[in-house]
Amino acid sequence: MKTLKRWCAVVLLLVSWGIIAAAQPPQPKGEYVPVDQLPPTESMPAAPLLITAYAFVMIVLFVYVLSVARRLSTVQQELNRLDASIKQGGRT
Amino acid sequence: MPKWFFPAAIVCGVLFAASPFVVANAPFEADLGLVQKIFYYHMPSAWMFLIASIVCGVASVRFLATGDYRHDRTALAAGELIVLFGLLTLVTGPLWARRSWGTFWIWDARTTASLVSWMIACAYLILRRYGGPGSEKLAAGLALFGMANVPFIYISVNYWRTIHPPTTVVPTLPFSLGFPLWFCVISFLLLFVVLLKLRIRVEEQQARVDALYLALDERS
Repeated sequence: MKTLKRWCAVVLLLVSWGIIAAAQPPQPKGEYVPVDQLPPTESMPAAPLLITAYAFVMIVLFVYVLSVARRLSTVQQELNRLDASIKQGGRT
Repeated sequence: MPKWFFPAAIVCGVLFAASPFVVANAPFEADLGLVQKIFYYHMPSAWMFLIASIVCGVASVRFLATGDYRHDRTALAAGELIVLFGLLTLVTGPLWARRSWGTFWIWDARTTASLVSWMIACAYLILRRYGGPGSEKLAAGLALFGMANVPFIYISVNYWRTIHPPTTVVPTLPFSLGFPLWFCVISFLLLFVVLLKLRIRVEEQQARVDALYLALDERS
């Protein structure tokens, strides 16, 4: 569970860092540039944003389902253990 | 678990596995192009975020009115889902906005209210986790504020100046764009129901564990 939490923290930190880094305002331009003369770095491809969005949703949902399943499994084990110890106490 | 749970979970898994293919086959929107396809996960996440807020608020009201801890467990489960689906909404939205609006974030009424609502849900969970005995009633009051924010988030785009599309966009979508959207909405809705039931189950079992510890204490 600790490892899972550490991984979640690392993923959240990376995502936050990426958003903060990308949210920096662009440098003001000294002149207007015609659209056909823009360098390739100026045009923003949509695919990385789309893939990031879908991957983020899938990973977060997967981690959450895993987390709930582990919590349910832990509490179920504890319940079984307590049930057994109460039954054992009842017999003695 | 109820009989419907496992078939629902399997159907949900199949729908989620199929959803990227359905979205990939959807046509490109004329103005936004490829990035508009984020919409098919962003909007269902946002709807589940709002539905979870309503479920949490209604369950909290019922808990405050009746004192029945079943409603409290439902509210707690829904509170966690508000944070989950809110996180998905607040991350996928800016990724879409960066390409279509030219910026990750604008402080318009909807985005600001959504962020506030998400933070209220985080506060609710922190209060439940660290508030100590009796904090459940205080947290239930907090959940009411979260629920009160929902209609404001929904209609804000119709009344305040914003570049968010108005609520009239979805009902007027053509079939080719509407089908993948409703497919994803059904997938997310089923996922919401399955996760809510699973999370309530954790709380129910935890309540049984607590009751057994009390029984053991009384015996010894």
